[in-house]
Amino acid sequence: MKYLPLVWSGIWRKPGRTMLIFLQASVAFALFGMLQGLKTGAAQAVHQARADLLIVHSRSGFASSSLPLGMLGQIASLRGVKFVDPVELFGGIYQNPSQKIGIVAVRPNPGWLSAFTFRVAPQYAAALANTRTGALVRVRLAKRYGWKIGDRIPLQTNVAQRNGSTDWAFDVVGTYGDSDVGGGNDTILVNYDFIDEARAAGRGMVQHFNVAAADPGIASTVEDEIDRRFANSPNETQTDSLREMAQQNMQSIGDLDFLVRAIVSAALVALLFSTATMLMQSMRERTTEFAVLKTIGFEDRCVFLLILAEAIVIFGAAAMLGLGLATFVFPFAGRFVHGISMPGIVFAAGLALAVLAATASAALPAFLTARMSVAGALSGH
Amino acid sequence: MRLVREFLALFSMSLSGIPQRAGPALTIVVGVACAVGVLVSMLAMGSGARREELGNVRADRVVVTSLGAHGFDGSISRDEAAAVESLPFIRKDRDGRPVVVTETAAPTRGSRRVSGRQVFVPLLGAGAALTEVEPELRMTAGRMFRRGLHELIASEVCAREFTGFDLGDRRSLRGFDWTVVGLFDEGVSRQCIVYGDVDSLMSSFDRNDYTRVVARLASSADFTGFSAAVRANPALHLEVHREREIIEETFAPLNGMLNFVSYFVGAIMAIAATLGSVNALYSIVDSRRRELATLRAIGFGPAAVVIATLCESVLLAVPGALLGCALAWALFHDMSVSPFGYSFQLAVTPPVAALGIVWALWMGLLGGLLPAWRAAHVPVTTALRAT
Repeated sequence: MKYLPLVWSGIWRKPGRTMLIFLQASVAFALFGMLQGLKTGAAQAVHQARADLLIVHSRSGFASSSLPLGMLGQIASLRGVKFVDPVELFGGIYQNPSQKIGIVAVRPNPGWLSAFTFRVAPQYAAALANTRTGALVRVRLAKRYGWKIGDRIPLQTNVAQRNGSTDWAFDVVGTYGDSDVGGGNDTILVNYDFIDEARAAGRGMVQHFNVAAADPGIASTVEDEIDRRFANSPNETQTDSLREMAQQNMQSIGDLDFLVRAIVSAALVALLFSTATMLMQSMRERTTEFAVLKTIGFEDRCVFLLILAEAIVIFGAAAMLGLGLATFVFPFAGRFVHGISMPGIVFAAGLALAVLAATASAALPAFLTARMSVAGALSGH
Repeated sequence: MRLVREFLALFSMSLSGIPQRAGPALTIVVGVACAVGVLVSMLAMGSGARREELGNVRADRVVVTSLGAHGFDGSISRDEAAAVESLPFIRKDRDGRPVVVTETAAPTRGSRRVSGRQVFVPLLGAGAALTEVEPELRMTAGRMFRRGLHELIASEVCAREFTGFDLGDRRSLRGFDWTVVGLFDEGVSRQCIVYGDVDSLMSSFDRNDYTRVVARLASSADFTGFSAAVRANPALHLEVHREREIIEETFAPLNGMLNFVSYFVGAIMAIAATLGSVNALYSIVDSRRRELATLRAIGFGPAAVVIATLCESVLLAVPGALLGCALAWALFHDMSVSPFGYSFQLAVTPPVAALGIVWALWMGLLGGLLPAWRAAHVPVTTALRAT
């Protein structure tokens, strides 16, 4: 403790230089925080994705009307299946072609929410079940277009109704949120039965089934069982849990791992190099001061630690600022990857890295200063 | 004139002094090299992606989609497709048939050879004129698919990166066996893409509508005429796009993201490098206080000192920039990446490298401003008296 004033005065001996090192280190740690945060955040998002929610789709891919609704009963009868719901997806346009809206048709039968990641207030869920032409809209979407409950929204689609029209209208009966990592933002939920009866083609078909497994532990068994049930049939299925799908999604960013590591290393190398040079310079200027310290009885080890402490304080403070900054701007940088947040572990790793970097850049100057000969230093050599 | 003479003298002194101040000088070089290296390698992703996307674009090729639909979500009825084929301005082949293909799109699964990971690859149903609409498509093994049969041809990339696309492999689609009968190469394109006969594909997927129609015009100047002809026909609810527009639109999100990330990360690195070089230059100026004070005392003007210091700073950034570009090229040029399901190779192109060098010069200039000001304002008397 008694050495603190000494460390402090050393830091502020040349305020301009210290501030520049501090700022440079902050910027480097902000970059580290953001890049590492994206990476770790993605891994966490995968971990949080539900493993018990299975998506059963056609082996030949995700396309509208690719599986018959009749499979629903067969899936429901399999062991370990808690709930099955049909899902049909198609695209709509609201007013002008740039305002695209995803239409998700589901059956809001009792218990349906267990097979989705949606958050729906009970009264809205009931309203959807009771209104054939009803629609729940994503909260953000409702805000953007100013939709209120009771509004009727007309959408142009590629799906023809039996009367030949491709325009559909839905009554807004509520809003919903979605906790899914990959969930789209501009979507509305409507009644599958309404769509299916009204459309001209593709009746009785769905895009995929959402299945809630009774227990996350048996999810992979259920997956296999579903796919086995439909193997060698015209409708071969592929069943993946939401977690597996998130994993595949995130893996595509993972391909950039090497690049991320290269960038972070480049930033750190530049920082270390610059700091080490500055500290060397600083030590040279302060040779006499350290010689005096040693003369009045400071041990070599103590001088070494003093210099190290200066660097650690500067880097620690810089890391705090930089990582704080990264956390602050993270939502902007994270807009390309849905549903991830800055993990706390990155903060801890950043601080540890700061101590390590400070030690690495200060070790040599500190060692040389601690080892110098007092007589030589005081006589100006 | 005097300014120039003074500047030249100062500048040559600065340069000859660099070896004695190797530490700070190296700091600037290393800092700038890291920043430019990062910027250039990030930008190389964007330029690589663009090279890959637009490499096969032909000015005379147009894509017809249903109104408001882009890419692969359209639906075009058989009548509409037939009407399009009979429109003027479309190139005719040797037998007088229009060079048009009707397409339908369906994803199929591929399993990566390396990771075993499953991804969707696009399966396109296409008409007989495929090779004439896409002259860049060159069969490298096997043969073209035949009409009415369950046959597929896959790009070489598919066979190389995924299992199940080798010649003779069978794939099950909607309960039918489809055989891979040929492999093709599409020049610069590195995407895995699979073609089959459009009618066979539509009947097995129970579809009645095409997703889009691709045609080649007699000349690229006919676009307006063709577009007007489509609009003039009231039975057609279609719109015509140049191939380049469709591709640019499809890839706009990817390009936008790559650009944003490149400039964002590049700017952060540049700020850090600039701060580092300010610090290094300050220490260079400080170590030359007496020298500078002497020069001022014998009549050198402050302007010459400022310019000489700025030039030194910019000059030190140049080797850093070159080193950065060289590192980016050595480490990342032609590296294959596949972020977000698009695969392409990084391309460190001259424009990208030039941009990196321009950034470096700015880093040098901005980093030099404050130290230059200090150099010009060295208090002559105190500096000369100091030991």
